Amino acid sequence: MRSVDSSPAIQSSATRSLPPEAYTRMTLVLRLGLGIALVLLAGGLLVYLAGNPRASSSSVESNNPILGYLTVPGLASGLAAGSATAILTLGLLVLVATPILRVVSGLYYFGRTGERAMTAIALTVLVLLLLGLLVIGPLLR
Amino acid sequence: MDLALFVLLLAITSVIAGLVGSLTGLGGGVVMIPLLVVLFATSVPVAIGTGVVTILATSSATGAVYVRDHLSDIRIGMFLEIATVPGALIGATATVFLTHANLASALLIAFGCVLLATIPLTLARRNVEIPPAVPSDHVAQRLGLGGEYHDQFLHRDVPYEAARTRPALAVMFSAGVVSGMFGIGAGVLKVLALERSLNLPMKVATATSNFMIGVTAAAGAGVLLAAGYVNPVIAAPVAIGTAAGAYFGSQVLPSLQNRTVRIIFVPVVLALSIEVILRGLGLA
Repeated sequence: MRSVDSSPAIQSSATRSLPPEAYTRMTLVLRLGLGIALVLLAGGLLVYLAGNPRASSSSVESNNPILGYLTVPGLASGLAAGSATAILTLGLLVLVATPILRVVSGLYYFGRTGERAMTAIALTVLVLLLLGLLVIGPLLR
Repeated sequence: MDLALFVLLLAITSVIAGLVGSLTGLGGGVVMIPLLVVLFATSVPVAIGTGVVTILATSSATGAVYVRDHLSDIRIGMFLEIATVPGALIGATATVFLTHANLASALLIAFGCVLLATIPLTLARRNVEIPPAVPSDHVAQRLGLGGEYHDQFLHRDVPYEAARTRPALAVMFSAGVVSGMFGIGAGVLKVLALERSLNLPMKVATATSNFMIGVTAAAGAGVLLAAGYVNPVIAAPVAIGTAAGAYFGSQVLPSLQNRTVRIIFVPVVLALSIEVILRGLGLA
């Protein structure tokens, strides 16, 4: 049986709420990002399975062609050619970008309400995320 | 195994992993990564890369519901991400180095140990829906770390205020390292920091943990994806399945007592962690 404390924390005047539209927009970002990513992943998977009807699970793991599509020209030419792996890679990139866009939303709302400390925090988080994707990861390839 | 059947089985397993991950606030990776290694014979680095994708899907699916219902505290989540994101970058980089050094078995053993450690930590979650008030600290007051949510179980609005931010940041950094290194959400550490250090109500802690897991995972995923550790054909069915499972889980959470879910979760994690350690040691 779960206990419920009868003396909840008192809300201080120091606590501040983001505008309700911030929650609505972030919900929208998450839903759209996830929706687009899942459509791309499902579509790419179907194209892949249709194009490789005799493939086995072991052949998939031993051959990961994603590296060829992790540059903008590589991804663009793959998408133009209708490559299943390029579609899947784009889906994965959208999936990674969705939480990053959520940080961008937070940055916007904290900046708009003039909260310097929270804006600086959001900006630092954003820079670190981009550093991992655009600098550290490619260096480790 | 035929690829189409492999993909179908991956998707079905991922639905269950996503559901469990969402209900416990731990993320689907804790279940999915060992299952990938044990049931689907996936290599450890690819399992970890897939785990990161699992977390991204879970967090976005549940995060949308929790943010809409104002259960996730965006301000507190953003503040703590300043610790989890650098931790995840370091963890993911360590995984790449260990794999390059042919130490994937060591990675597997370490992962099994982390899984084992989640059991007492999961049980250590306090069974108090709303904690007694403790004094807020300077950082929490300056940043306005607190808020209010509507509790459907208690049928009232519940105000809360964060405390003890420094120890919470330290735990969150560790959670980030674990998340980036093993491709899991490390939600158990995040929830503990949110409940025990910051003194947040149980549901806000769970929802904010889910909110943060996505951003932490994005840091690790950025490194692992760009380094070529994510196999898209394996990751795609897992992402779709976990997103579906996580969405169902988040629909149920606001009116659910979480302890029951955690108790069911323990024997599953125990069995998986033992199996993973034995495989790492070459005994399974």
